Amino acid sequence: MSGPLRADALEKTTGRALYTADIRLPGMLHAKVLRSRVAHGRLVRIDATKARAMPGVHAVLTREAIEPGTVPFYGYFIKDQPIVALDRVRYEGDILAAVAAETEWQAAQACAAIEVEIEPLPPVPTIEAALAPGAAELFPEPPIGMVPHYGEGASAVARPEPNVCFAFRYRMGDAGAFAECDHVFEDEFRFSRMHHLHLEPFVSVADCSRGRIEIWSSCQNPFPLRKEIARMFRVPENRITVHVPYIGGGFGAKNNCKTEPIAVRLSQMTGRPVRFCLTMEEGFLTNTQHAAILRLRTGVTRDGTLVARQAEILLDAGAYSDASPLVAEKAGYRAPGPYRWRHVDSLCKCVMTNTAPAGPFRGFGGTQAAWASESQIDMIARRLGMDPLEIRLKNALSLGEPYMPGESGIDSDLGAGLRLVADRIGWRSTNRQPNRGLGIALGFKDGGGVNKPAQARVKVSTNGDIFLHCGTVEIGQGARTALAGIVARILGAPAHRVAVAPIDTDSVPFDQGTNASSGIAVMGQAVAQAASRVRAQVLEFAAEMLHASPAELALEDWHAVRGEERVPLAPLVMRHFGGTGFEFSAEGFFKARHDPRAPLETPCVFWEIGWAAVEVEVDRETGRVSVPRLVVSGDAGRALHKAACRGQDEGAAIMGLGQALFERMVYDGTTLLNGEALEYRAPLAEDLPAEFVSITQEQGHGPGPFGAKGLGEGAMLPIAAAVANAIEDAVGVRITELPITPERVLTALQARQGRSP
Amino acid sequence: MSTLTLCFRLNGAEVTREIPTSAVLAELLREEFGCTGVKLACSRAVCGACTVLLDGVPVAACATFAFRAEGAEVTTIEGVAEEDPVRRAFAEHSAFQCGYCTPGMILLAKALLARNPAPTREEIAAWMSSGLCRCTGYQMILEAVEIAARAGASA
Repeated sequence: MSGPLRADALEKTTGRALYTADIRLPGMLHAKVLRSRVAHGRLVRIDATKARAMPGVHAVLTREAIEPGTVPFYGYFIKDQPIVALDRVRYEGDILAAVAAETEWQAAQACAAIEVEIEPLPPVPTIEAALAPGAAELFPEPPIGMVPHYGEGASAVARPEPNVCFAFRYRMGDAGAFAECDHVFEDEFRFSRMHHLHLEPFVSVADCSRGRIEIWSSCQNPFPLRKEIARMFRVPENRITVHVPYIGGGFGAKNNCKTEPIAVRLSQMTGRPVRFCLTMEEGFLTNTQHAAILRLRTGVTRDGTLVARQAEILLDAGAYSDASPLVAEKAGYRAPGPYRWRHVDSLCKCVMTNTAPAGPFRGFGGTQAAWASESQIDMIARRLGMDPLEIRLKNALSLGEPYMPGESGIDSDLGAGLRLVADRIGWRSTNRQPNRGLGIALGFKDGGGVNKPAQARVKVSTNGDIFLHCGTVEIGQGARTALAGIVARILGAPAHRVAVAPIDTDSVPFDQGTNASSGIAVMGQAVAQAASRVRAQVLEFAAEMLHASPAELALEDWHAVRGEERVPLAPLVMRHFGGTGFEFSAEGFFKARHDPRAPLETPCVFWEIGWAAVEVEVDRETGRVSVPRLVVSGDAGRALHKAACRGQDEGAAIMGLGQALFERMVYDGTTLLNGEALEYRAPLAEDLPAEFVSITQEQGHGPGPFGAKGLGEGAMLPIAAAVANAIEDAVGVRITELPITPERVLTALQARQGRSP
Repeated sequence: MSTLTLCFRLNGAEVTREIPTSAVLAELLREEFGCTGVKLACSRAVCGACTVLLDGVPVAACATFAFRAEGAEVTTIEGVAEEDPVRRAFAEHSAFQCGYCTPGMILLAKALLARNPAPTREEIAAWMSSGLCRCTGYQMILEAVEIAARAGASA
């Protein structure tokens, strides 16, 4: 045994675990959609007459079938994505119409019979094209939306210029600091776009046949989904129930509305449950990471002290805003990296293009920021003749030092982690082989979400069986195991006594969503409080029954323990509450406190750090880069399940390695060329470095129970930059565009040779 | 719609069904026999989530006609015993996260160990590259296969 079993081990290794994709209801219909082949155009005519008459078809949803008075748009800050196309299509894959039929095949056949006339508009394929003077506008009229309140230094504007849906800016200190620098370096970096490639597709089943809306969904945030559906369909939230079974991976994609609005509307139209399950190909067209252009201007003194940084980040938001404004906040805010600055001026814009909508993706803007920042820090070190490790150690924030004015203190010892991975890779070793090089990088993000509340409930039955109710979804990260473990530890019970209740929004206490690595540091605190309160109730009860004071008693395996005496609790409960027994029950709550000085509403709950060191080998003839050794480390604060922590770090690191070397969505203009499993190259087992070391640090400074904090994103953040840094160490060329393909390396090597034959 | 009568052994039991000639094995197993451990992800025989064993040979059930099962022994994850050393190794070593690839990975590993009871790490990595796992970064999966091999999974 490698430590305790995960709570979901048996179900998931026997095939018994149920996912939304497995849900079947009596009388259930199946939905398919018709997608636009035109990237940008005016929808002139859509006629579903033939489709409606086809065998098995129960309903066709086109713009005519939107119920008057409802609001058929969704999004986060900006609600600009329609359930089906209204006046325009904005990318190849945009949904024109949806069909509910007896079978998926019949629904697909009917989709093909829908007649569509689209008048093409000039396509806007890239960030550069979108910002060019005179570019066609995706949204000539401003969509509904809002800009949040920010604290000190932070600000944002919705739609500051054509084809920009949102711009976030963070400023700190005096720009005069640049004048005091010995060197100012300006560098540009490009970040390519990945798809999440979660194996369980986007899928939901909606049933509106009983005067309510009931939804089963593969969704990371059931309560915000309920709110969004209520808003769009003008239905009270207590007439909507969202169920979330196991989720087969998400990596950020499964936030907010995806398949749900269409399933709901078709169920309303047919009076039957409707299942809407996307194919993997459709998944590629539904949500992606943000491609980005990042320009950094960084001032330093000649001894390598970082002084001032200006950042301009352009995110490719795709055709709809989705979570882009939220990602822009984070990319902009994280661009300085965890270093000491006197001045920061960071601007991040979300640029609309006629490509698939980009949204949340593991790292959430931090991956883009870390790619640029950790590359440039390394370039600066080399330009100054400094050791890349030393420049980081010299400038990294100390434990407890606030990230920015008004922020919480950094809760990991950054230097300790840097030395750890550097030592493991042999940073100081002088035994270097030709064409091999070492690279190091420090990834970081603010974790736990912005101003995020979480509630939980813990119940204990007469016999000491424990129930945990909370809205954190099990998406693979091990949340159920870790949260149940917190309850067990506080109640002095073995872990198997704690059952985690299925999630439905009627009975589970409110939670903002499973995102931002918040399960342990945010929900964990609510869960711990609920468990502590139940423990207090039980001990008070036992004390009364035993004529003792609660302080004299301990709770251990459903016994009240006083010194050597162990009194079983079940008979006491029965005696007091009667034969049917009782349940002790309490709720817990956590939310970071508001602080007007904090740039993003509340001080950050915890800081998620990823340290990486790699060794690369570059083939000078082909430009191919291999990674024989990779050392990655995260800080769990205190690991609540060591194997789950390790798995999160290793999975994140390999996702980062794919991004570094080959994984990307390839666009030809507005056309996605590799949007399916065979042509989309994602890491496989044979891509692992020969030596792949992950180290879960337990530095103990986290805000969560027992000093724990979140992980799962951090280990992705430093990988790409560490690889690029190692390549420069190996062969002296700097790659500033992802992925680092053999072509790019070879071109750089040839250019270098051209310069110095 | 033309149909045929299909007879095969599913997880050790004789079964017979009248099926459309065009029926796909994954859908037959999921919809007719309740084998929801056969997971559908890419539906293009690439990702391996739907892997089942056909007479011991791993196949992508999403891209296999159901009639291929005629007279064959089909093993799905539902046919793997709780005490199976490979299943136990995956469970005990936490060699899974979201669990969507896990049934396919376990069946893939069983097929490997049946052919090669003591594979090297490189052989395991090459073989298991027929399956896509987006969560784990694979290392714990490879270790689980090694643990199962040491526990005598081929027996």
